[in-house]
Amino acid sequence: MDGIHDLGGKQGFGPIDVGEDDNPFHADWEARMLGIVRAMSRPVPWSIDWFRHVRELIGPVDYLTRPYYDQWLQTYAAMMVNSGVATVDELASGTSVADIPGLGPPSPPSAVAGAIRNTARFDRPATEPPRFAAGDPVRASLNANPGHTRLPQYVRGRRGMVTAMHGAHVLPDASAAGVEKAETLYSVAFAATELWPEATAGGDRVILDLWERYLEPA
Amino acid sequence: MSDHDSHRIAEIHEDLHSHLPPEPALRVKALESLLVEKGMLDPATVDAWIELFTEEIGPKRGAAVVARAWTDPDYKARLLADGTAAITELGFEGWAGGHLKVVENTPDTHNLIVCTLCSCYPHSVLGIPPNWYKTAAYRARAVRDPRGVMAEFGEAVPEDVAITVWDSTAELRYMVLPQRPAGTEGWDEAALAALVTRNAMIGTARDLTPGPGGPD
Repeated sequence: MDGIHDLGGKQGFGPIDVGEDDNPFHADWEARMLGIVRAMSRPVPWSIDWFRHVRELIGPVDYLTRPYYDQWLQTYAAMMVNSGVATVDELASGTSVADIPGLGPPSPPSAVAGAIRNTARFDRPATEPPRFAAGDPVRASLNANPGHTRLPQYVRGRRGMVTAMHGAHVLPDASAAGVEKAETLYSVAFAATELWPEATAGGDRVILDLWERYLEPA
Repeated sequence: MSDHDSHRIAEIHEDLHSHLPPEPALRVKALESLLVEKGMLDPATVDAWIELFTEEIGPKRGAAVVARAWTDPDYKARLLADGTAAITELGFEGWAGGHLKVVENTPDTHNLIVCTLCSCYPHSVLGIPPNWYKTAAYRARAVRDPRGVMAEFGEAVPEDVAITVWDSTAELRYMVLPQRPAGTEGWDEAALAALVTRNAMIGTARDLTPGPGGPD
């Protein structure tokens, strides 16, 4: 979707706070929110792609101004309401009015030591041979899925070159719509001079990981 | 079940915006209370996760990986070939580490990591990303003006050094292997690891030359 989240190359943003300290959290509520997300039960499955899509649907003003972990809260709250896990009133009051039937006990502290090593993988058996190979010139599609997609606007229509083929990975565009299917994933390099009119450094480039449907022969 | 309906989600966001408490701290407190009441959350488990990401899972893991690669050429070769397998050797597998790609700086190339679409980051080796990494400014500017961004971080990258910016648009996660600085010959892994900063592994720092006085 052509949302506010698609920030690559947007101009008008100011300097970066390079003086930030090394603390992982800058407020207690940020740490709590991170911990809640790692520790909470999931009565219904929420894919990483659905999470990202729900986050990018936060209203543009809120998306640009609310702190990062506050956006996590907003996203989980919206997924919970949408899935019937909680109501807006419950989330506002912090008080439950309905139990969740069939729910097991929550994750105990003793589970954390093992859970930190859980490593999700997103590669899947390929069902189609790859259309492109490393070294192939390609052009990124001008149009992208109107729902969730991982094809940023700043490369659409631009020419690049495949630098690596990664086999089939879960396709976010479908996964965020509730369908898991896999498609070949490639790393594609775009010269800075192809992307930005002001670019002058000949060797500078941007590499993105793009699914086969995002690409055309060039 | 989720209905995967974008319009419905936009409506729910509006509803939440209007009804949730006005401060983030109060919103999180209400969420935690609700999840505990519903039997979905043990607050002691939240404490345990916070302690892990404060004490154990952070950039010192990535620094240990870098120091090993600087001192063991075979490990470096394995790290560059399959980052996930190589960090697993050190027990650092985990969150967002399933498809780790380590990219190496050289005298004439520099690597910089960003996620323009959200905030993807190799958590199991670098921990919690800094706030700046998640800001609109960094996400917007890193792909378009990497030299300007680096200059703000105090690194003037010479014109004859080519910059590759890696935009984490899929589930591959990236970590930079910085160059081992001159003057560190004979240093052990622990002393070398102490030189490696988080920013160097994101790519917003490049020169890790130690100050005078040798290893700590």
